Amino acid sequence: MNATLAPTRPESSAGRTTFAALVVRELRRFVVNPVFLAAVALTAWTTWGNPAASVNEIDSVNWYPAIFLGGFGMMATFWLTRSMRHSEPVVGVTPTGLPVRSAALCTVAVVPFLCGVLTLFAFLHYHPLDARVYGAFSPPAQVAVLVGQIVVPTLGGPLLGVALGRWVRFPGAAFVAFLVLFGWVNVATVPSLSHPDSLAATALRQFAPFTHFTFTNNGAAMTTWRGSPWFFIGWQLALCAIAVLVAMLRGADGRVRARVTRTLQVVLVVAAIMFVLAAAGGFTHAVHA
Amino acid sequence: MSRSISLHGVGRTFGATRALADVDLDMEPGVIGLLGPNGAGKTTLLRLLATALSPSQGEIRVLGRDPQVPAERTDIRRRLGYQPQEIGFPRGFTAFAFVDYIALLKEWTQPAARHAEVRRVLDQVGLSDIATKRIRAMSGGQRRRVALAQALLGSPPVLMLDEPTTGVDPEQRVTLRTVLAEIARTSIVVLSTHQTEDVAALCERVIVLDRGRVRYDGQVTELVRQAAGRVWLADQPDPAATVSWRTGTGRYRNVAAQARDGVEHVEPSLEDAYLLLRGGLPDSRPTEEVAS
Repeated sequence: MNATLAPTRPESSAGRTTFAALVVRELRRFVVNPVFLAAVALTAWTTWGNPAASVNEIDSVNWYPAIFLGGFGMMATFWLTRSMRHSEPVVGVTPTGLPVRSAALCTVAVVPFLCGVLTLFAFLHYHPLDARVYGAFSPPAQVAVLVGQIVVPTLGGPLLGVALGRWVRFPGAAFVAFLVLFGWVNVATVPSLSHPDSLAATALRQFAPFTHFTFTNNGAAMTTWRGSPWFFIGWQLALCAIAVLVAMLRGADGRVRARVTRTLQVVLVVAAIMFVLAAAGGFTHAVHA
Repeated sequence: MSRSISLHGVGRTFGATRALADVDLDMEPGVIGLLGPNGAGKTTLLRLLATALSPSQGEIRVLGRDPQVPAERTDIRRRLGYQPQEIGFPRGFTAFAFVDYIALLKEWTQPAARHAEVRRVLDQVGLSDIATKRIRAMSGGQRRRVALAQALLGSPPVLMLDEPTTGVDPEQRVTLRTVLAEIARTSIVVLSTHQTEDVAALCERVIVLDRGRVRYDGQVTELVRQAAGRVWLADQPDPAATVSWRTGTGRYRNVAAQARDGVEHVEPSLEDAYLLLRGGLPDSRPTEEVAS
C-alpha cells in the first residue's frame, strides 16, 4: 500500500466521450452474454436449417429471429441493465446519471439489430422474393414484411429489456414479458383467421410488436391479410422509441426529464398515427390465392 | 471554488420516522469523525452529503454547490468519493474490472490514465496482488477494500466513508489511516464509524450524532478532556458508574457522569468520553422515533 497522490482526472472528458466509452464497455459485456450467444447460434441454425423447398409460408420461418435475437436479446439486456443494481449506492452517485447509462445500454441493441440485418440477407438468399410463400405482396412490400418481422424485433426486444430492467424489480420480468408477448401475438392472430376482412381483427392483430401478414392451410390456399407492412414498421419503430424513452425516464430530473417527457408525448402520438395507418393501409380485403 | 461543506437546519424524514433533525454543520478539509449508536442518523447524513438523498428540510452546500440543482449535483459528484455502508458487486466482476467500471462512470475516459488510476487505488488499499480475482470469491474485508478503492479514485476533494474499517485487519487499518491522512491534507474526509480508536487516531474533529441530532461537535481532545477524572479502575463494577466493564486484567473500568475522588483514575480514552456523552446527557432519553 502506498499513499501516493492521484493523477489528475482529465477535465475535458465529460459528456459525449463518457457516453461513447460507456457504450463500448456495455457492448463488450453484452456480446459475451451466454443468452445472447445462444440466440445468435439458434438464429443461424434456424436460418440455415430451413431450405426454401420445405417452406409453404414465409410466416412459418421468419419469426425465429424475432424469438431468438428479439426475445432472448430482451432477456440479455434485461440482465445487463440489472447487473449493477446492487452497486447502485456507488454507481448512483457518479457524475454519469441513470438516463445516460440507460441510453448507453439502449445503444447496445445495435448488435442484435445488425445480426437481424445479416439474418435478413441470409433469409433473402434462402427464400428469394416474389416466391408464392410471400403471399400477394409486391416485392418491395415483401421486403417490408421481412424487415418488420426479422429486423425490427431484434432491435425492439433488447430495448424493451432495458426499459424493463430500469422499472421492474422482479428478476424474471423479461422472461414473463417474453411469454406474454409470444402468447399475445398468437392470440391476437386468431380473429384474423376467422374474419380475414375485418378491420377490427386486423387492428387487434397489429396491436403487437410482431405480426403475421399471411396464412396458408398447409400450402393449399394462401391468404394475404389486410394491413400495411410499411406503416407497421413505423408502428414498431415508434414502440422502440417509447422503450428507449421510458428507460431514460428512470432517474431523469430537471431539464432532462422535461425533454424526455415531451419527446415521449410526441412519440406516443406518432405511434398512434402509425398504428391506425398500419391497420387501415395495405389491402382493403384479404387476398386469397 | 469553495472547499467546504455546510448544512443549515437540515432534516430528513422517512415517512413518519425522523432520521435527522436541525443539523447545522460546517466542514473544512481534514478528517472528521462521525460517531453515534445504530440509528443515530450517521448513514443518512453521509447519504445526504454524497447526494444520494435529498433533505426534507434545510440547505446543503457541498464545495459551494447546491445538490438540489441537477447540474450542480453532477458537479459535486465529479469531486466526490463515497463508500457506502453496504454495497453489492455485479456477478463475474474482478476487483480491477469493477473499479475500472466506476472510474469510467467518473469520467476517466482515457484508458491508459484510467487503468493507471485504478492500479494506484487498488495498490493503496492493498489489493494489487489480487486485482484480477473475482470479487465474489473475496473475503468480506477484501470486498470492503474494493468498495474503498473506488471511493479513492482521483483523490476526490470530498470523501465520504461509511464504516470503512469494518472487517479490515489491523495492519490494513493502520495503512488506511495513513492513506486517509494524506488525502485529508487537501480533502474533506468524513468518516462514519463505530471504531472510536480510528477516530482517535485519525480525526481532529468529531461529531457525535444521537437520535438524529448533533450531540457533540468539536475537537477530539476536548471531548476526551471532558472525561478526565471520571474514569477509574476497580476490582468490582461501581454502582455509581454510568457504564462499567471487565477488562483483560480482570479489573473493572468504570465511567461515570460525576467525577469521583478516592479511586484509581486512569487516562480516559475517546471511547470512555463517547460512552460518557451518550449516557450522561440529561436529554439523551428517547424523545422521538429516529432511524438511520
